[in-house]
Order: sequence, then structure tokens, then C-alpha cells
Amino acid sequence: MSISIEKPANAYQATLSRRQFVKTGGALVVGVSLVGAELLKSTSAKAAAFMNSLDPTLPTSWIEIHPDNTVLIRTGKSDFGQGTTFTAYRQIVADELSVPFEAITTVVAGDTDRTPDGSGAFDFLGRGTPNIRKAAAYTYQAVLDLASERLGVPKDKLSAKDGVVSGDGKSISYGDLVKDQQLKLTIPVSGDLTSIFGLRVEGNPPMKPISEYTVIGKSLPNSVIHPKVIAKETWATDVRLPGMLHARMVHPKTLGSTLVSVGKLDKTKFPNSQVIVKGNLVGVVAPTEWEVIQASQQLAGVTKWTDWKGLPGSAKLYDYLRKEADWTTAPVTKSNAAKGDVAPILSSPHKKLSATYQFSYMKHAPIGPTMAVADVKPDGTVHLHTHNQNPQALRGEIAMMLGTTPDHVIVHTYAGPGHYGRSNGGNAGAEDEAVILSQAVGKPVRVQWMRAEDLQWSTQSSAAFSDVELAIDEKGKLAAYQIDHYMPAMQDDRPIGAVIAGLPTMPAPQVESKSVTSTVNGLSDPWLYTAVSNVAEHGHGTFQVGQKASPLAVGIRDHSMRTPGQFQQNYPRELAISEAAALAGADAIQFRIDHATEERVVGVLNAVRDASGWDTRPSPRPNALSTGSKPVRGRGVSLMFRSGTYWACVCEIAVTPSTGVIAVEKYTIAVDPGIVMNPAQLKRQAEGGAVMGISQALLEEAIFDESGIVSRDWYTYPILKMSDIPEIKVVLLHNPKVGSYGGGSEAANALAAPAIAAALHDATGKVLRRLPLKPAYVQPVLKA
Amino acid sequence: MVKIIVNGIQREIQAPDDTPLLYVLRNDLQLSGPQFGCGLAQCGACSVLIDGKETRSCVTPVSTVANQEITTLEGLPARWAKQKGLSAEEAKDTLHPVQQAWIEEQTPLCGFCQNGMMITATGLLESNSNPTLAQIKEAFTNSGPSPHLCRCGSYTAIIDAVKHAAVIMAKGGK
Repeated sequence: MSISIEKPANAYQATLSRRQFVKTGGALVVGVSLVGAELLKSTSAKAAAFMNSLDPTLPTSWIEIHPDNTVLIRTGKSDFGQGTTFTAYRQIVADELSVPFEAITTVVAGDTDRTPDGSGAFDFLGRGTPNIRKAAAYTYQAVLDLASERLGVPKDKLSAKDGVVSGDGKSISYGDLVKDQQLKLTIPVSGDLTSIFGLRVEGNPPMKPISEYTVIGKSLPNSVIHPKVIAKETWATDVRLPGMLHARMVHPKTLGSTLVSVGKLDKTKFPNSQVIVKGNLVGVVAPTEWEVIQASQQLAGVTKWTDWKGLPGSAKLYDYLRKEADWTTAPVTKSNAAKGDVAPILSSPHKKLSATYQFSYMKHAPIGPTMAVADVKPDGTVHLHTHNQNPQALRGEIAMMLGTTPDHVIVHTYAGPGHYGRSNGGNAGAEDEAVILSQAVGKPVRVQWMRAEDLQWSTQSSAAFSDVELAIDEKGKLAAYQIDHYMPAMQDDRPIGAVIAGLPTMPAPQVESKSVTSTVNGLSDPWLYTAVSNVAEHGHGTFQVGQKASPLAVGIRDHSMRTPGQFQQNYPRELAISEAAALAGADAIQFRIDHATEERVVGVLNAVRDASGWDTRPSPRPNALSTGSKPVRGRGVSLMFRSGTYWACVCEIAVTPSTGVIAVEKYTIAVDPGIVMNPAQLKRQAEGGAVMGISQALLEEAIFDESGIVSRDWYTYPILKMSDIPEIKVVLLHNPKVGSYGGGSEAANALAAPAIAAALHDATGKVLRRLPLKPAYVQPVLKA
Repeated sequence: MVKIIVNGIQREIQAPDDTPLLYVLRNDLQLSGPQFGCGLAQCGACSVLIDGKETRSCVTPVSTVANQEITTLEGLPARWAKQKGLSAEEAKDTLHPVQQAWIEEQTPLCGFCQNGMMITATGLLESNSNPTLAQIKEAFTNSGPSPHLCRCGSYTAIIDAVKHAAVIMAKGGK
């Protein structure tokens, strides 16, 4: 039996109560202390969302300390190759909790029934204070309280190191401390679990001073790499449930087609296949994968759809956006960097630039097409096995589709191919279709999209264009800068299968939609040239292209992709600033430094200048050449602030004017995240972002005709290959006095495009203000 | 029925003759190394070694590889142990130097393409024990039916790992 001593206490907005268990006779209360999550026992609609999930108000839901001194941590965020949950999160907890990194033996991530919070990878470091950090800080206080009581030493005389609390000559390990104990500490949380942003731990528990960090800052290994390399990791693609059927979809002929008639399956060839139809959604299931692949192809050939030609096509995209898209319904946004009055300066006789910059549709293009396994039980409970960035949001979307509550939906998350933001609002494709098919056949169903579907039926990073006007005064200073950004709604979180099937989803993007799914174009690229006196930045939004015209309400669906929105705004700005420097006859890095006031902006620019061996001079280079078949060389720079981190990059290129082919020869990137959490991992992330960013800059454009996306494989949507990579140099600026750590992966993607475009100008004297910088677009500009 | 030899073990396969080897490996033999990336021999995620040559399993009908030696990611340690003549006891905890290098260099980002990258690295290093940077780039770009594609951009980490694996192999492992 146990004797319970309840002692409520208030600490840092947290409520603590303790129960001490004693052993009597044979009844040993096994001491897994700081364990014992409870589901919220409430029947309110809000609380229902938490069912099947751990109680987020209990630190035990986040962190378990075991009697053997090992520690388990949980997060609703899942890994997409950043390694954050397996490196940074363990390092953060190790330091806040004063335990060795190696003591954190288990990381539970993503599963909605086993993790307390939601949200996505974009929120990994939560502006320096991720949920897991606060949960660890609360837990640490609880450990000290327990130790104080156990050792009879006042809390303020205790300190902890490597999982042992000591003070006044006494000490006890965390394992011994928690053995036979059960601690219940209630911590404050806010937010909505199944929204894109999930829950946030509130309150202000004391945090470890940066000077006492011993684990953060070390190049510790990513623990998920080993099992992946030896083929022991369970990928989402490996999930096989008893009785599971394989499925392939027969998606509509166009992004606006409705079903006329379902074709007849050739049962002599495909005797075990079965066709499922729900609204305009057609799928085929079979016991074996090869049969269902062939059966779906045969069925696709004989299924009839209405025709639809409601898109402008790639060639007319920017004309359409400029002249036909309706920019009047969404309110124009203004940046908080606005100051002075640009109008009189822009209308006076200064050296001026007036230009438009065009940003292509780009695909997330995961190396493996999206897939999911769904198991809809007879009682309506749904188990969904997939690779997802925001499993809690997916859970909410599936519940909405089925007209049920989230407690009936459990999402299990596995490793999978990175998809760079595509599912940060809950779905990547295939998940909802697997549920629909599983419900129809009463068996587990595995939906695997094929390569073409993954390019043609998924979302993309939105196209955009920006108008810039700027003026240089007689001293060569940027006297006025004005930019107007135009971008269709950047995020459509409706599950596509549900839309095609006519099942309930959230609305298509509209002005009133919540946050990122609204048509309002917010300004997301922080202005860094704070010495400029007259600045105006505006955002103009509209509906997705084809969204209103498509009978399916589909059109070209957009979605966040690495630095979403900010890439579309930073590319025109940074290229325009390089052009402004050229107009002023100034060096592009020095010009930036001369217009900056923030120490970290100057620091990151100086670092990239030194590391790249940049020679200070104006662009274009002497003897710049836009003709001939010999490569000409140039260099450019770019700058970005994102998620607490400053980034600057220098690209050195060789361009062959006669062919328009650009080769990036050297790429130097400087990163100041404040505290560098894990140098080796940050370097790998920066290298990866650099390569993907060069790929986006040089090659990437989702091509569409009047009916839909026509990019369908790696030849029609090419990405960078190994032979195309430059020498890459990463400079990490550890800057602890900043007092926090910034995010460390996605921004590198955005830096290459404006730096390469500036390098093209440097080499040739010609400016291409359109992405991608592919020969078909480069050549005409060089010839002009 | 087709008989194939996978990682040194003969298997009888009931799947139709034209079934791509990838689905046989993944679904019939429950191997998780080779991944479905494109089904078009355009990316390399599904690669295996067949008689030592990097092959795209997604477009290779199972009947065409009857009685040939197929090595998947799972079979790399045994392949190395056999090449080095390691005892069963020695082989137990031994990884292929390529795998060891991939871990020590912290190469994978999402890791989905890395099966094919490690397979190609193994094939390369078996024929060229000390490849130059240009030879590494050539092997991963032009040696097969298509370049080996990595979407996360881990190419520099792959190059580091291939060089590191060459050093480990030159030392005979470890």
C-alpha cells in the first residue's frame, strides 16, 4: 500500500504536488518516477482534442527520468533530416536538466498518442526556447525540490551535475531520487494542439545560464543516422500491417476535371484488384503492389474525365499575375521597417532602379513520393502510419474529413524522405486517401504515390513577383527603397484526396483564413539595411492560380517550402541591393555594411568577405563580357535574417555566354545563430541547404500548361547532381553573448539565388531578374 | 517461380516474373534498404549490387536476375567480412567500411537516398580503392542509368564519407 502526502506548492506558474510511496510487505511500488502521464479527463470539445495524447500540463509527459538514471524525452515534432530531435533537443535537455547527453537514451517523436505537443519542424527551436527546454527547466526545479526534501538540505544549497544532486556534503542520483516516487508537477500550456502551431509551454521557470552549458556547443552525433545506415530504422515505407492491401490512385486528368465514368478493370489480368470510388476520387487496391500498379495504369487508360483548361500556363504566368489576378480582396500589408517618405526621392533626379523580379513555382520534390498506411477500425478509430511534419495537425484534418473528433485518430510517425515544409500544416498527400480507401474496404490500406503524382498532385512553393524602386543619392547612399511583393496564397492545407472526394476540409485559402493559409501576403523578410532613411515595403496577396476557376476548387496549390514567403521576398531584395551597389559604384558587401547598423549584420558580412577571399570592388567586374564561348567569372553576395540567425553567402560562378550555362564554382556561407548548438550538425545542415539552394536557383521551375503541372519526373523537374556542386565552405560564428540559439537549416536554401544572380551581373554586366537562372532564360538576357 | 540469391542466401520467389526486383526485395523478402524513389531508374534510391554492379532494382524484372548475386544495404557487412575472410565472431559486429564512414561523417540528412549512395560507394571502392574527387563525382553522376540524386543536398557529406571509407578500407577495416 502507499501513503500519499499531497503538498501543493506554487513555483514559476507551475503547481507541484507530491506523493511519497513507501514499500510494505511484498507490494513494491516500482519507482519510475516523473512518469505517469494522465489523459485529460474532460468531456469538453477542447479537451477531446487531447485524447490519445499525453497531458501536456505534466512535465512527465515530456521527460521521464528512470531509476537507472536514463532519460526519455518526447516531442510532437518529427525529424526530417535536420536531426534536431536527436541532437539539439537532447543537448538542450541535458544542459537544462544537468544530465549527460548519453543518459537521454530514448527520443519519442511525432506519434500523436505518445507525445504532448504539436506544431512542425519550422518551430524546432521555438525562437530559442522550445517547449522541451521549458519542460526540462520545470523538471529540474522539481528534481531539486525532491532532493531538498530527501537530503534535508535547503534547495538553494543544492546543485546538480551529471544526474547527481549534491549539497552540504550529501548527494543523491536522479535515479535514486525518483525511485519509488511519483511526482506530479502541472505546468502551464497554451494553444491548440491540432492547429499548425500546436501547444506552447508557458511560464518562466529558471533556465540554466549559458555560461554553465557543457553539452550545448559540442559536435555530438545524430543518433538516428546509425540505424538508417545499417538498414535497421523503420521507415514509413516499411510499415506492413496484417491483411494490408496495396493501393494506387487514379487522379483526375487535370486540376479541374470531374469524373465522367470509371473504366472497367480487366479482371482477367488483375483478378485480385478492386476499384474504390468516392466522389471524384478513384483508387485501386490489391494484395500485391505490382498487381495494383499495373491495374491502376490500365484503369487510368479507360477512365473518363471532363476536360479543363483554366490555368494561364507557365509561359503566361507573370502576365496573368500582373494583369488578371485579383489583388484587391486581400488587404495590402506594410512592414514595420517602413520609415521616411520614399515618394519625393523616387520622383527626383537621382540614380534610380526600377525593376521587376520573378520567382518560379518550385516543388518540394521529396526523393521518395509521399505514402501512408491507414487502418480504419470497425469502431471508427483510425490509425495512420506515415512520415509527417505535423502529425497533430494531420490528426485534426483527418477527423474533420471523417466528421469525427480527433480522439478517434492516431497518427504514427516514422522516418521518411524529407519534404521541406510540405506537411508542416498536416498533410503531404496520400494520408487522407489511405484513410478513405481503408474505410471503404475495411482493411489496412497502403497508398503510395508514384513519381509523376508526387510532382503533379502535390503542393508547390508559390510563384511570386516583386516591383522594386530605389534611388541612390549623390554620396552613393541608398536614399529610398520601395518594394511591392505580389504572391498568391502560400499555403493550402486542405488534404487533396478529401477535396477530390468531396469530403469536409478546411476552406480553400481566402482572406479570412487563419494565419498562413490566408490570401493575405504578410511581410516575412526582416529589413536589415537599417541606416536607410526612406523605406517602404508592401505585400499584396491573392488566391492561388486556378483556385477559383477549377470545378474541384484545386488549381495550383501552394505550400510552405524552406523559408516560405521569405525566399520570395529576400531574392528580389538582395538582388536589388546588389544592383543598387553597382549603381552607386560601390562594392556589394561594403555597400551592405555601410547601410547596416546591427552589429551581427556587419559581423556576418565581414566573415563571409574574409572567408571567401572577396576582393573589394564594384560590380560588374572589369572586362565583364556577355558574349563568347569562353566562361566568364563573377561573384555575388546575399544576406538574410531568419529564426534568430544571420546568414550571408558569397557565390562565385563561371558562365558561358554562348550557352547561358552557369556553374557555381565556390560557395561560402557564414552563419551566426548566436550560440552554435552543434557545430558538426550545423555545418552539414548548411551544406545541404547550400546545395538545395543552388539547385533551386539554377534549375527549378514547376512547368504547367492550361490544365495542370506537366513536370512529371526527374528529367522534367531536374535537381542538382553531384557533378554540379561547388567547393563549399561553411563558417560558423559562435556568438554566445547573443544569449540564445537560432534555427540552423532552411535559410541556406534561399541565399544562393540572389547571390548567383548578382554574380551573373558581375561577370557579364547583364541582370537576369527571373528564377531559375537556367540557360533558356540566361541566354536571351546576355544577347540583349 | 524464380530463384534469386540475396545477400548470400538463395530465395524462391513466387511473384510474377515481370515483378520489379524492388518490390520483391521490399515486400516478399521484407528488406528495407532499397527504397522506392521514382520507379524510372532516374534517382538511385532503389540500388542494389548485382554481381558487383550497381543496378536499379525498380526497373529490373526479377526473372532477369535469377541465380545472380544480389547484395542489398543489409548485406554489405557480410560482403565485407567475406572479402576480408573474417571469422563469424569477427564479422558479428563489423560494419562495411562504407557504412562506418557514413556514420562517422554523419552523412545522411533525411537519409532516404543513402541506400543507393552507399551501394554505389561500395561498387566504386571495390574497383578503385582510392578515388579522386573527380572520380567520385563521376561515379555518382555518370556511372549508372542516371545520376544518384539527393534532394537534401548531402553530396559534400557523401564525398567526405567515400574518402573516409577509402582510408578505412586501406587499413583493412576499423
